[in-house]
Amino acid sequence: MKRAFRIYFPFINAGMQETATYRVNWIFYILGSVLGCFVSYFIWHAVFLSGEGETMNGFTLPQMIVYIFLIFLTSTMIGSDAAWAVGEEVRDGSIAMRLIKPVSYNATFLFQELGNKLLTEMFLVVPLIAGLEIVRTILVGSLQFSVVNLLIYLCSCVLAYLINFFFNICFGFIAFVIKYLWGANMMKNCIVGFLSGAIIPLSFLPETLGRIFMILPFASLNYTPVMIYMGVYQGAELLYFLGLQVFWALFFWGLSKLLWVISVKRLSVQGG
Amino acid sequence: MIQVENLRKEFKKTIKEPGLKGSFKSLFKPKTERVVAVDDISFEVPKGEILGFIGPNGAGKSTVIKMLTGILTPTSGRCTINGKNPTVNRKSYVKEIGVVFGQRTQLWWDLPLRETYGVLKEIYEVDEKSYRERMAFLNETLDLESFISSPVRTLSLGQRMRADIAASLLHSPKVLFLDEPTIGLDVVVKDNIRRAIEQINRQEQTTVILTTHDLADIELLADRIVMIDKGKNVFDGSVGELKTRYGQMRELNFVTDSTDPESALSYREHFSLDSEDVSVKREGSSVKVRFNSEAVAVSDILAYTLATVRVNDISVKDADIEEIIRRLYKQGVD
Amino acid sequence: MKQIKRLFRIHRIFVAQELKRMMEYKGDFIVGVIGFLMVQCSNLLFLWIIFNNIPSLMGWSLNEVVFIYGFSLIPKGIDHLFFDNLWAIGHFTVRKGDFDKYLTRPVNTLVHVMFEKLQIDALGELVMGIALVCVSLPQLSIEWSVLKVLLGIAAILFATFIFTGIKTITAAVAFWSKRSGNIIYMVYMFNDFAKYPVTIYNEFVKNLITYVIPFAFTAYYPALYLLTGENPLYNVGMTVLLSAALMSLGVFVWNRGIRAYESAGS
Repeated sequence: MKRAFRIYFPFINAGMQETATYRVNWIFYILGSVLGCFVSYFIWHAVFLSGEGETMNGFTLPQMIVYIFLIFLTSTMIGSDAAWAVGEEVRDGSIAMRLIKPVSYNATFLFQELGNKLLTEMFLVVPLIAGLEIVRTILVGSLQFSVVNLLIYLCSCVLAYLINFFFNICFGFIAFVIKYLWGANMMKNCIVGFLSGAIIPLSFLPETLGRIFMILPFASLNYTPVMIYMGVYQGAELLYFLGLQVFWALFFWGLSKLLWVISVKRLSVQGG
Repeated sequence: MIQVENLRKEFKKTIKEPGLKGSFKSLFKPKTERVVAVDDISFEVPKGEILGFIGPNGAGKSTVIKMLTGILTPTSGRCTINGKNPTVNRKSYVKEIGVVFGQRTQLWWDLPLRETYGVLKEIYEVDEKSYRERMAFLNETLDLESFISSPVRTLSLGQRMRADIAASLLHSPKVLFLDEPTIGLDVVVKDNIRRAIEQINRQEQTTVILTTHDLADIELLADRIVMIDKGKNVFDGSVGELKTRYGQMRELNFVTDSTDPESALSYREHFSLDSEDVSVKREGSSVKVRFNSEAVAVSDILAYTLATVRVNDISVKDADIEEIIRRLYKQGVD
Repeated sequence: MKQIKRLFRIHRIFVAQELKRMMEYKGDFIVGVIGFLMVQCSNLLFLWIIFNNIPSLMGWSLNEVVFIYGFSLIPKGIDHLFFDNLWAIGHFTVRKGDFDKYLTRPVNTLVHVMFEKLQIDALGELVMGIALVCVSLPQLSIEWSVLKVLLGIAAILFATFIFTGIKTITAAVAFWSKRSGNIIYMVYMFNDFAKYPVTIYNEFVKNLITYVIPFAFTAYYPALYLLTGENPLYNVGMTVLLSAALMSLGVFVWNRGIRAYESAGS
């Protein structure tokens, strides 16, 4: 463990420095992305004004606001460029170089991305959660914040990041089939966005459909952590969904290994 | 043809302190400083000349070339070609010049080479008749025929360079800028490219400005050399002048059958020379002696050598330009 | 006149090149178009699910919302299709020094950059936008006149250049800051607000997208005129005015930027 840390710490460090170098760029990116939340906020605001009753599919307006912004926060925390990185390697053939490198490529990438995130999330989590809770307190009239939920939420996010990371590693291998990564990536993001509840809460979907989506790995990415923060999942249910996250993380980790083995065979057949 | 007067360029540069702490600092309060990349450069180039433009890394070479090609706007000073000034009218200025950057291509990457010329014909408004004549000429000099129908991404580096030079010459420019035209090429291809450049220069009286790290390019092509260092003009003259000014070093080569010529010949003690004025290198039976011809006369050193050891074959030659320039880059010019 | 003829000629040549390139990579373009189509579909699905829960969105029917949404995609799609290369300027062309190429050619740099690429992916948006307008139109009782049709077409045309103008200004920032890709992205994201009826926003956002980053004039206001026939002078006239103003500002900033351009390397 200590050895692994010594090997990979430079990558975390490099990731953080990279982010710091392009600071202004990053700030604009975040600002642009937050705008999407505000659009959603106003739409939902209008929806609740136009609908009858206080709640809609189990959500009140303050809860919906928390949901919108937490989905955004979770998405940036678990986001991964691994598909892109692997896809590029497949496309330009440099994936063959992995065979002769002494350190694990996936691991180096993972740690570099973590370094990136460590810095960005520090600037994002605290103000966003604080702001959100202040707004919620004003809207509801009493403080709803729970430290326990926040901590479990953060753990759940780590699991979600791992799922997403290994899922993206797997997805990157699609470059063997589709050459246009940008287009493929857009399709993936769109589907994942929908299935993970990032576009609309899964409880708004028809019941059977919603239930199927809940078991799929994508709900584990966004929906599960957010539900945990909001205190919807408790006790046995909470353990079940965390367990599901662990399962999917292991599943995609295994799948990424398998795909690697298959592509090594393919590489050796093609001769690199 | 080309007039460069008091050209100067300053850049603003962000300073980043090293390490994570530095990154954090620059996150909130980036520091900047002004850097003078080119400081008061002036020279002229007459029509039909091949000018070698040289200098060590970071001397400001590319900055000057980029100002001459209209890419960068000078902080002060000006350059004109045929009386045209890039900051006043860029479009008419760039019609007079052709530009090749060895490390970049201006060819359409995904399409057959032929397509690039079709587009450039329109961009430079070359009429149909001149286009056909021009392509025939370029084809002959640069030998494009064999790969003109292949997509550019499939071309070898040498083919790509020939194609790029042709692209820059399509509109019959009066001045051709070549930045590292032989970079990364093997010896035979380098030779081809040099010959093509020479031919174009001769046949069309095209003025050529050449920057390169391969000093053989300069030795073989350039009529004149402008050398800059730390943004300043440090030498302007012919290759011959450079040699007479800085090339006092000569090389004495001979073959001998004596077993230990180094200990028999003690140039330093005999002529009481400093260590930088003479050096001896032996490879098998051939010996190479570099010496400063101002510290010791060629005839003296010859006489001493012939008297001391048995010599089979002997010659004296000028140090080549590469040697001179390498020394100049290392020491700087006073 | 001769100048304009030349512009069209150059545009035709570049488009022809792009189509040839497309033929080399057919699969990519299909993937791209489907990708963009899917993004729009998921947004529509969102709207549809929402309207299953409410009768109308603050007085707007589903058809009206879909019409405005569809209308917004048309100028956006046209700009995206023809002038997408400006993104590349902000993201990497300037940073990598590849902008040098444009400066050594006897064509206006902005024109060259704008014409050079064709982003076929945008067909996903454009097709979807036209489809949505076509589907929602018969369900809406709109009184048509020749003037309305002409103003509608003009609005689309000028709205396109609101997008292009804003993109030019933000892309040109890269001449000073080396990269401005995310600034373009941020400003561009404001157009998400303009896809929905402006009345759902509070005063601040409404003023922001009307007067500061006037994306509301690319969709809501002209669409409002087409729906109600009200106030063409403001709803369409402002689109024309802002389009001209933003494009002029874009050209100005661009030209200043070129003088500050530092290329790459030493």
